[in-house]
Amino acid sequence: MQQTSAPARAVRALAPLAWIGPAVVLIGVVVVWPVVVMIQSSFLKISRFGVVQGANGTDNYTKLLAEPDFGGVMARSLVWVVAVVAITVAISLGLAQLFDQRFPGRRVARWALIAPWAASVLMTAIIFKWMLDPEVGLINMILRDLGLLDALGGADADPLGNAATAMPWLIFVAVFVSVPFTTYALLAGLSAIPADVYEAARIDGASRLRTYWSITLPLLRPALVVATLINVMNVFNSFPIIWAMTHGQPGYSTATSTIFMYILKGSDIGESAAMSVVNFGMVIVLTVIFLKVSKWKTEVS
Amino acid sequence: MNKRLVGAVTLGLSAALVLTACGSQSPSGGDTAEGGEVTLKLVAADYGDGPTADNSGDKFWKGVIGEFEAANPGIKVDVQVINWNDIDKQVATMVQNGQVPDILQTGDYSGFVKDGLLYKSDEVLSPATASDMLEKFADFGKVDGTGYGIPFVSSARALFYNKDLFDKAGIAEAPKTWDEVKAAAEKLKAAGVSQPFGLPLGNEEAQAESFLWFMGNGGGYKDASGNWTIDSPANVEAFTYLKGLVSAGLTTPNPGTKNRKDVWADFAAGKVGMVNGGPMSIPIFEKGGLSNFGVAPIPGKTGPLDTTLGVEDWIMAFNKNGRKEEIKKFFDFFYGGTAAQKISDTYKLLPVTKSGIEKLSSDEKLKPFLDALPNATFYPFQDPKWSEVNTQIKQTIGGAVDGDPKEVLGAIQKVATAN
Repeated sequence: MQQTSAPARAVRALAPLAWIGPAVVLIGVVVVWPVVVMIQSSFLKISRFGVVQGANGTDNYTKLLAEPDFGGVMARSLVWVVAVVAITVAISLGLAQLFDQRFPGRRVARWALIAPWAASVLMTAIIFKWMLDPEVGLINMILRDLGLLDALGGADADPLGNAATAMPWLIFVAVFVSVPFTTYALLAGLSAIPADVYEAARIDGASRLRTYWSITLPLLRPALVVATLINVMNVFNSFPIIWAMTHGQPGYSTATSTIFMYILKGSDIGESAAMSVVNFGMVIVLTVIFLKVSKWKTEVS
Repeated sequence: MNKRLVGAVTLGLSAALVLTACGSQSPSGGDTAEGGEVTLKLVAADYGDGPTADNSGDKFWKGVIGEFEAANPGIKVDVQVINWNDIDKQVATMVQNGQVPDILQTGDYSGFVKDGLLYKSDEVLSPATASDMLEKFADFGKVDGTGYGIPFVSSARALFYNKDLFDKAGIAEAPKTWDEVKAAAEKLKAAGVSQPFGLPLGNEEAQAESFLWFMGNGGGYKDASGNWTIDSPANVEAFTYLKGLVSAGLTTPNPGTKNRKDVWADFAAGKVGMVNGGPMSIPIFEKGGLSNFGVAPIPGKTGPLDTTLGVEDWIMAFNKNGRKEEIKKFFDFFYGGTAAQKISDTYKLLPVTKSGIEKLSSDEKLKPFLDALPNATFYPFQDPKWSEVNTQIKQTIGGAVDGDPKEVLGAIQKVATAN
């Protein structure tokens, strides 16, 4: 018995691997391996031309932290994430509620919402950049025709040329491309809430606001947490919008950490890798904080 | 425990599999195949308007290679054309992965020299080709007296002005001094031109525009003895002058965020009165519908510049695959045949060989630039710090026209002199 059961046990122990194996391999190759290489590179001295010149200790990190723009870039990344995600979620909650109602043309409206999601983010960003062009931008022309703008071609017609006016536009475009996914995630959550709890609330005489606050939101929480979390990670790593619209300029005043990492790559690959590691750490920290705050594991009472 | 171990082993194995798969890919493109046929891998920058344009680098090179392969049976050339924004980063990745091309054509060679990746230019150039190169250009291809970078094409800069707009504003001739630039800009503004002077200080090529203004005041990135002088009084004064133009609304708005490409497009559309450009901007202006423009020397503080910014692009040969004989044949074909001249014709870039310049000397529009070439000034790109300084200039120098010029230039100087 002993002899036959040992190999049998081994086979049985290995059997699950056949099922999870492909997933493990995939994760190992496309997630774990790049992370390992990224962390490795951050401790190497690499010339701008890609030649590895040996170990560099923690010099890449020291240099990164000493960059005069580093603090501002990190602070801006946080503001960027919080602003974009908060506005996106707020708008999506409203839109999901609206699209959950029955109204004529709902199907068309739901389809229309997919458009910004289906279009390439880079294309969307470039189109907005063109619409804001000081000489020929459509938005500027409309503003001029409404009398809100004196003349084209000047600094007043150039919102992307100045951090104070560029940031709101960047955030607007980021919200614009994030809303469809978030709305659909929340819509799915809404349709999963059973009708009888609403009926019970109605019998108890709860007001609409009260129903939303005490029934809808708590039951929507799983969908809300997932949607928000995915948005936090997406927005933090978001690159094409800012790159296409401002390149992080003027100076670094519209650059987030991802943009900063890419710019550094042009002069010091090791330092850029160090920035990637910091970025990676930030995403993990943000995620953990968010999960703690949202108490995602606790059941709805 | 056991499961975890098995998992780790599987993961390790799969990673190894993938790695070897990647590794085995690289030589297949360049190995000697049966029949002694050799395939050279060529990576080049795109001087055209992108992969779908009629003048795309891909079409240009395919044409050249077709002729070369017909004349040299047994040698094949694989070409990969990459746009200017990405080529440095992609080549760096190739080097990092050990998949270097045999021939690379791009904007800089100096970083590969120190690590011994390149053939010396006399190993891959026949004496006839080498002696046809303009000495001044070939000299810039040398590191410690040995040539590695082979001059590919060059360009120079001059002031372009829109003659129709000048007529409308009542300006008789192109400005020669900074005061005249300002006076002309004010007249253009009064005549309704929204951007009297096109000033691209955004990340695309801020280092070129800034250099031209530094030169106008006798400044530059380095002094004669090779010390960085980015925040020298002459340079600060140049940017203080520019700041005056910008705050008076006489330039492109927010110059620190505007790229050359966009400002040139605005010039072609008749929205800009004057702009600094090169021979390569002529086809852009003409395609944009502007043909009545003049070309003049760049104005300096007290008179037109007697020098200009020269830019030289390079071609180089990597020694990793040991194909120097084949590479030599390719270079001889390229410089000796019609290919080098075809580049000048297609992209309005200036040749780097004596014979090439002779052939072009009758071209009316290129003449001001050909005349300026012998006296051109170049970027200090051989300094190992230049790439870092350049990155910083591109990103931040535009801030000097709305902040404090001394402070902004000082911050860049600090990057240049940090060890």
